[in-house]
Order: sequence, then C-alpha cells, then structure tokens
Amino acid sequence: MTLLSILGMISSAIFSGTSLLYTTLGETIHQRSGIVNLGLEGVMLISASSGFAVTAITGNPYLGVFIAMMAGGIMNMILGFLVVTRRANQLASGLALMFFGFGLSAIIGKPYVGTRINALPRLNLPGLSSLPRLYSSLFKFDFLIILVIPAAFFVWWLLFRTRWGLGLRAVGESADTAFASGRSPFLIRYQALFLGGMLTGLGAAHLSIAYTINWTEYMTGGRGFIAVALVIFSKWHPLRAILGALLFSGAVAFQLLLQSSGVQISPFLLDTIPYILTLLVLIVWGGARRHAAPASLGRIYQGVE
Amino acid sequence: MSQNDKNMLKWNQIFQKILDSAARYLMMGFVVLFLFGIILLITGKDPIQSYKDILTSTLGSQYGFSEVIVTMTPMLITALAVALPTRIGLINIGGEGQLYMGALLATWGALTFETLPVWALVPLMGLLGIIGGALWAFIPGILKSLGLVNETIATLLLNLVAPSIVAYFVFGFWHSPMDTNKTPNFVDAAQLPTFFNSRIDLSFFIALVLLAIFWYLMKYTRWGLEMRAIGGNPQAAKRNGLPINKYWVIVLCIGGAIAGLAGAAQVSGFYGVLLVNFSRSLGYMGFLISWLSFGDPIGIFITSFVVSVIITGGNMLQLTIGIPYAVINILLALTLFVVLAKPTFLKRITI
Amino acid sequence: MKSKIFYTFLAVLMVAALLLSACGTTDEEQTTEEPVVEVSETDAPVVEEPVTEEPAAEEPATEEPATDGPCLIIGALYGGPINDAGYNQAMHDSVMAIQENIDCVEIIEAENVPEEAGATSTMENMIQQGAGMIFATAFNHQYPALTLSQQYPDVIFEHAGGWEMSGNFANFFGEPPDTWYVMGVAAGLMTETNKLGFVAAFPLGWTNTFINAYTLGAQSVNPDVETIVAFTFGWGDSAQEADATNSLINQGVDVITMHVDSPATVLSTAESRGAYSIGFQSLAAQEFAPEYWISGIGFTLGDTLTWLASNVIDDSWEPIFLRCGIADGCMAMGPFGPNVPQDVQDQVLEALAAIESGDTVVFTGPVVDQDGNIVVAEGEVLTPDLMSSVDWFVQGVTGSPQ
Repeated sequence: MTLLSILGMISSAIFSGTSLLYTTLGETIHQRSGIVNLGLEGVMLISASSGFAVTAITGNPYLGVFIAMMAGGIMNMILGFLVVTRRANQLASGLALMFFGFGLSAIIGKPYVGTRINALPRLNLPGLSSLPRLYSSLFKFDFLIILVIPAAFFVWWLLFRTRWGLGLRAVGESADTAFASGRSPFLIRYQALFLGGMLTGLGAAHLSIAYTINWTEYMTGGRGFIAVALVIFSKWHPLRAILGALLFSGAVAFQLLLQSSGVQISPFLLDTIPYILTLLVLIVWGGARRHAAPASLGRIYQGVE
Repeated sequence: MSQNDKNMLKWNQIFQKILDSAARYLMMGFVVLFLFGIILLITGKDPIQSYKDILTSTLGSQYGFSEVIVTMTPMLITALAVALPTRIGLINIGGEGQLYMGALLATWGALTFETLPVWALVPLMGLLGIIGGALWAFIPGILKSLGLVNETIATLLLNLVAPSIVAYFVFGFWHSPMDTNKTPNFVDAAQLPTFFNSRIDLSFFIALVLLAIFWYLMKYTRWGLEMRAIGGNPQAAKRNGLPINKYWVIVLCIGGAIAGLAGAAQVSGFYGVLLVNFSRSLGYMGFLISWLSFGDPIGIFITSFVVSVIITGGNMLQLTIGIPYAVINILLALTLFVVLAKPTFLKRITI
Repeated sequence: MKSKIFYTFLAVLMVAALLLSACGTTDEEQTTEEPVVEVSETDAPVVEEPVTEEPAAEEPATEEPATDGPCLIIGALYGGPINDAGYNQAMHDSVMAIQENIDCVEIIEAENVPEEAGATSTMENMIQQGAGMIFATAFNHQYPALTLSQQYPDVIFEHAGGWEMSGNFANFFGEPPDTWYVMGVAAGLMTETNKLGFVAAFPLGWTNTFINAYTLGAQSVNPDVETIVAFTFGWGDSAQEADATNSLINQGVDVITMHVDSPATVLSTAESRGAYSIGFQSLAAQEFAPEYWISGIGFTLGDTLTWLASNVIDDSWEPIFLRCGIADGCMAMGPFGPNVPQDVQDQVLEALAAIESGDTVVFTGPVVDQDGNIVVAEGEVLTPDLMSSVDWFVQGVTGSPQ
C-alpha cells in the first residue's frame, strides 16, 4: 500500500461520508425531540433532485444547495403535520414519506438525468497546491465538506448548550413533563423537524451536486436508513456521529481498496460489518440503553386539549 | 315506542353508519385523486385520462385484473408477517430482511436439489423460506426477550444486513459470467404452478389460507386471546402467569417465517430466479398495509388490493401518457398521507 | 384543520411547481444528430451465424404509402432513463432512428423497466397497445422476453446483447471488443503512471472481455501498463461509481474508463480529480469531461434497427444472431480531447485502421491470464460466443474476474 492509497482512503471516506454525516446530524435532532423519521430516504431524494434541477437550470450550485436545504425542511413539515398535529404513527408516516419521495423526486429529476451541471467548486486548502496533481486533488474540498465538522459541533452546542436544546431534549425525554414546565412540544418538534430536514437536505445536496455530480432515481441507495442506524450507533450524540460516519464510509473505501488490490474478500460481507457492529453495541449496552435513547422516542404526544 | 319502531331506529342507525363511512372513504379517495391530479396537471399530463388508464388497465381487462392479483400476493403475506406480531405488541419492521433471507434459503434449495420432482422441490423451497425468515426473526426475538435490544431497532438493522448477505451468496457462489446480478434460472420443477392462464400462482391461495387461519386464530382460540392480552397490557399478562418472553420469541419467529415464505414465493413463483435487489420495499409495503388496516385480515385484503391497483395501473401510465413509473409512488403516498392524517373535516360529514 | 392540510400540501406543490415550470417541454427534445442514412448495401450489418439472407436485398420501407394506421408499432424497453447520456440514451437514439427513417412506424417506450419478471407486464401492455415488434434493451430482459415470445408468436422480439434465439426472438448488439482495443491504445499512450482504471458494473463475461481487450490494446503500445478494476455491482448506482472512481485515482490511476450505464458520474469525478477519461456507451459522454477527455466509443445502432424493423414490415424478418462492429457503423469513435497530442491521435487512428482492415485481431493466441495459464492457444482466436462467458483477466489486470 502506497502513501497515496492510504491518504486516498481517508480522502474517500471524507468525501462519501459527508452526506451521511449531515443526514445523521439531522436525524439526531429529530430523534432527540422524540421523533423517528424513517422517511429520510425520501427527503434526501427530493432534496437531491430539486437541488440538482435548480443547479442545472440556473447554473449556480450554491442556489441548488440552498433549495435542497429548504426542500428538506419543507418535506419534513409533512411528517410534522402527520405525527405531531395529527398524531399518526411515526414509523408508518415515515415510510409513507419515503414512498412520496421516491415518486416526487422522479418527476423533479426526470428532465435533468444525464445533464452536466456546474458542480460545487472545490477549494484548494492552503499549502496543498504545491503538491502533485493527484495528491493535491485528494484534499480539495468543497465548502459542504469543510463545514460538516463545524456543523456537528454546532448541533452539539445547540442541543447541549442552549435553552432551546434543553427544551428539545426535555420534549424527547417526556413531552408531558416538558409541557408542564411551560414548553410547547408541538412547536419544538416542528422546529426540530425543520432544522433536521435542512441538514438532511444539505447531505443530499452534497451527494448530487458535489460528490456524484449526477441525478439518478433512487440514488441515495439506502443512505437514509444507514443514517438511522448511525444515530443509534453514536448513542444519539452529534460528536460521536462524526466517528460513526467516518467508520461507515471508511469501510466502503477500504472495501474498494481491497477489491482493486485483487484481495479476495467479499465486499458484501464487509458492507454488513457496520450494521452488525451497531447491533453488538446495542447488545453490550443492554439495559443501560435507556440512558442514551430519548425516553419518549417514537411515542405519540397526545397533548392537552 | 313499540318494539318495531325501536328496531327500525336501530337499523336506521346502522344504515346511517355505513353511509357515513362510505362517504368518508369516498371523500378520502376524492382528496387523494384531487391532489394527485394537481401534480399531474403541473407536469402537463391529463389527470382524467390517467385515472381512466389506471382503471381500464387494471380492472377493465382479464389480464390487468390478474396482474393486480399477482402484485398483491406478496403484500398480503408480508402484511400478515407484521400484523401477527402487532397483536402481541411487537413492531416487526423487519419484513424486508426476513423476505430476503427466506428467498436466499429457498434459492439454495432450488439450485442444490435440481433433480427433485416439482411436488417435492416446491414444498421444500417453501419450507426453507420459512426457516430462513424465522431464523432472521429469531435474532431480534431473543434479544427482545432478554431485554437487550428493542425489536424495532433490531429488525430495522437486520433489514440492512440481509440484502448484502444475499448479494454475497449470489456473487460468491451462484454467479456465472453470463449473469449480472442474479443466479442462473431455476429449473421448471422449482417454479410454483400458475393458474387461469395468467401469472397468478399458488402463493396467492396460500396467502388467502394464511389470512383465514390468522382470522380464526385471533378470534376463536385461547392462543389469540392470550396474545391480545399481552399486546394490551404486558405487565398484567405477566402477573397473570402468561409466559410473555416465550410468546415474544415465538410470535416474532412466526412473523418472520411468514415473510420468509413470501420471499420463497417471489423467487419460486414470480421470478423463477434470485435477483440481488428483487424486493423493492415489499417488506416496508407490508408494514404500511398492516398498519393501515389495523391488522384486520379483511382490511389487509382490501388495502393490498387498492395499493396493487395503483401500482399495476402505473405501469400502463408510462406507456399511455409518458410519466415516469416511479411517479405512481406519489399516488400511493398521498393515499397513505390522507389515511394517516385521519382528517377530522371528513369525519364531520353527515348525510 | 381543513385549511391546514391544504396549506401543507400546497407548500409542497408550490416547490414542485417552481422546479417543474422551467422544464415543461424537455421531454420532446430527443432524437439524434446522427445523420439519417438510408439503409444501403454498405451499411448492411455483418451477419454472423446462420447467414440466411443477404440483407442488402431489402429496401427500407420509406416509400411505403401512408396508410391510416401505423404500419408497425414498436415497443421499446429500457432498463434506465433514456436521457442518461449513456447506454439507455444510445439505445433510445437508435430506436428513434427507425422513426426517422420509416415514417409510418409508431414507437412506444418505457424507461426504468424493472428486471426479469418485473418487465413482463410492461411488454404485455405494449402488445395490448398493438406492438408488433419489441426491442428489449436491458440485459435482464432476455428471459422474460423469450418467455413472452412463445405466448405471442406473431410478435417479433429483439433483445440487445444476449444469446438466446427462437422463431420470433433474436439478439442484436454492437461488437465493442475491437473498439475497446483501440481505446486501450489511446490510454496506453496517454498514461504517465502506467496505471489505468476501469469502473465496471458486474463481473460479466462481456465486461471482462472489454477489460481484457482494453488492456491488450494498452500493452501493445506500452508493455508496463496495469489496469485496475473496481466493480460497483449496479448498472446505475452513482454513489458507488463516485466511490470507485475516487478509489482508483487514489491508487495512482490517471486514465479512467467505465462500463456502467451512464458515464456522467465516473467521467465528472475523473475530471474533478484531474484524471484522463475514456467514454463508453454513448458519444454524449464527452460533455462530462471537457478537459481531460481522451476519446470514447458509443453504440450507433440506428441503421441496424431500421433494417430489422423494415424486415418486419415487409414480412421478411428472420431470427438472426446479429453482431456488428465499428466497420459496419454499429459502433462509432468519438473525437479526441483537447489534451491529446497529434502523434497519439495518429497512432490511435492507425490502430483503428488495422482493426477495420482485419490486420489486427484482438484475441489472437497466445493469450495468458492473470495466473499465467494460456487461455487462448497459439494460432487460435477467441470467438464471440466465448466472449460472453469469459471468467479470466489477461496478465496486467488487477482485480478479480468473478
């Protein structure tokens, strides 16, 4: 293994892990407020397609990223309406949202399949431009990659260092208690969904506008579900999510490296490792899990009327 | 008031109720069609023509109708795989993974025992499918009963693992350079018999029998009663001496077995080959259908039928008005949204 | 409550409206810039195996008098989107060429058609819409089409890239291995690191053959060349394609090419990393790599499909196992990119001429595989029917062919 291939693995993990991390951060916020969003897959697809479409029309990738972000937030409002206002089952509503995303993204993206867009520009980090092309291009990141770690810290700060975050976590632990202490679980959950949706939208935008530079139907390939697994893996903590996302995407990069080195290990078995690891982590926590997971996760807040 | 009048009043009330619910469903249907119509109009397609095409291509011809049945068969079974554990308070979102594992084992049977006659091979594949699904559901079941991992999370995670395992076996052992993402075609003896000169196969009748058994079990046996007791209040059931941990494991395994059977039926009946990503969310669809119909067998049948009409009709739409096939998911999702939102303004309608 | 529902949906719909208003009519832009060539003797595809008939005898049905209904309804199925700038677009363009050459045909199309039995109902629906000829262009549509061909003996089925044959079912395809050899020559001359990267969908016999031909071509001008292969295990999984492309470039590869449906992701990624690229499937691929494009090959089957359709119209269609190469006009080579020096261009064109004249035959023995076994013996040539089941890589390829 050369230095390039090791650095390359890190670079690959960063590139493909970015969209995963944004989405995981979004889902962390949802789940901290007590909502499981299984519709991430659909939200991502709609964000990815609308961001790609806007970039294709206007030629401005930044506008595309913005639209993708807003689309993510708005899509989550549908879920909010169903599970918060109408108190519908969260899992079923999320899956319905997923199917909605399958369909709507196909309409939005259809005319732009195979269209060349201006990808999100990659910026030269200072000092790297003197390296040979293959090395310098390893760490030429777009602004979404550069911002992803700060975003994780921002979410951490928001959840654990602000009054709003305290309220959000209180709602996630017990909506009734939070209501009794003068907070509005409805409002907070809507806000959590909108913010989380915007982060999910950023992840999707990175996937279509910056990383693959392409739109195809079902292009997220299960990333929405992976993000749900990652949230559990990182114990509902935004900073541990960084590690989780790097581990997941690093596994993919490692798998490809092995494959093209002619090593005979099935890539599919390697693919399963992160999930099995997550399950093992859960088993090890066992009963203590309750200290990590928001207590009212998935429960419907009936409210007082 | 005479007895007769009282009876009249009672019947009137029942009649009123039926009318009410019929009106409600009609209203819901109308809302869905209206919303989807707007989307179609935005994309420049004719909604009326679209609805006409959906109906004529599904209910308007013998072939279309048979395709609706074919589409709904796996949904019936996967919905049942969710409905049964729901009765005991377990959320089995793992139908997708159990389906894949059932298909995997059934495929192993089909490729290993190629020389067996059809009357032996098909039941063997069914049995293997049941074992595959049950084993896959055993993991979350045992974790749940040991109090380690919540079954929702465990089944969801295992959904993500199962397709990779299928891919490992297909590309690792059952792959020839003539194939892309599938095994070689099964021999004829490994394929479910079909009926009525259509693609309706034996699994449809198996699904109906399973639904009937489910209905009978829940309604008339001690077993069903106990399960409902556990689902209603596990703590109380435990105090009354019901072995709820045992129930959890067994019921989840049976649910998995049913989903596994659906997987076996898909590879043996519909495909006749194992495709790496054959399911396309069938397991999740089963979850939604079971949830929408509150686990009621007749409800499962009706909901699967409506969903299948939409899906099958969407196939024709891309030929006649040229919208992407995936768009039919919007119609499906809108239907789900409206049902999930339980709109109050619809309930207030009186005739 | 009522208003709330509607506002929620309206918000979503408005976003959709915004996005879609700009793209209302894009569906209509299609058809190729490909010159409309009358099918004549020179264009007649090379027919392998039962040479039943001289194709030149057929006149294209252009002069057919316009009747009330269409003279033939053609149903075409694609496994992906028809505007993918790749395989499906190349197939779509070829099918639409029939329409250009023969006025009276009507074409119904279906994109993103599911694989295997999932495609059956689409074909049934097409036949119910009156289709008399079906083009099934996805690899995994072969068996469902074959099964249906027994149910509908009056409908002609043509499948792309398979091998099964029956009374009303036949296979057609371009013959890319020769062209891949020429691309290999270009890549071998352009690489500085002597490492070529190949992003492939599946370890499929034909894909392995392409990789082998490409490597042999590169080795013919640059013996030190190594080709590294990464599989994505999907025809259109763009995230995997980006991962694979990056991974290859990180291992020192400086020329990238691919055998997946759409070149968009692979070529865009290579371009963003500053690696050279070679296109495949459709010549539309070049737009994704304006700077580092070397060249590319694409399917141009319009005339062949027109010929097949005209045979169906005048009832002279026979099941023929049809493969046609670059000399027959079924494949075409794209222009060179701006960074390709003149002497490289000359050498590539020389290699192309040698292929077209038959001086170079790609898989002439002895061919040695990765482990040093002789897979094509001295004096023998790998035949096309064996190419579909190749499960070895030639020496100089890194990766597993299974």
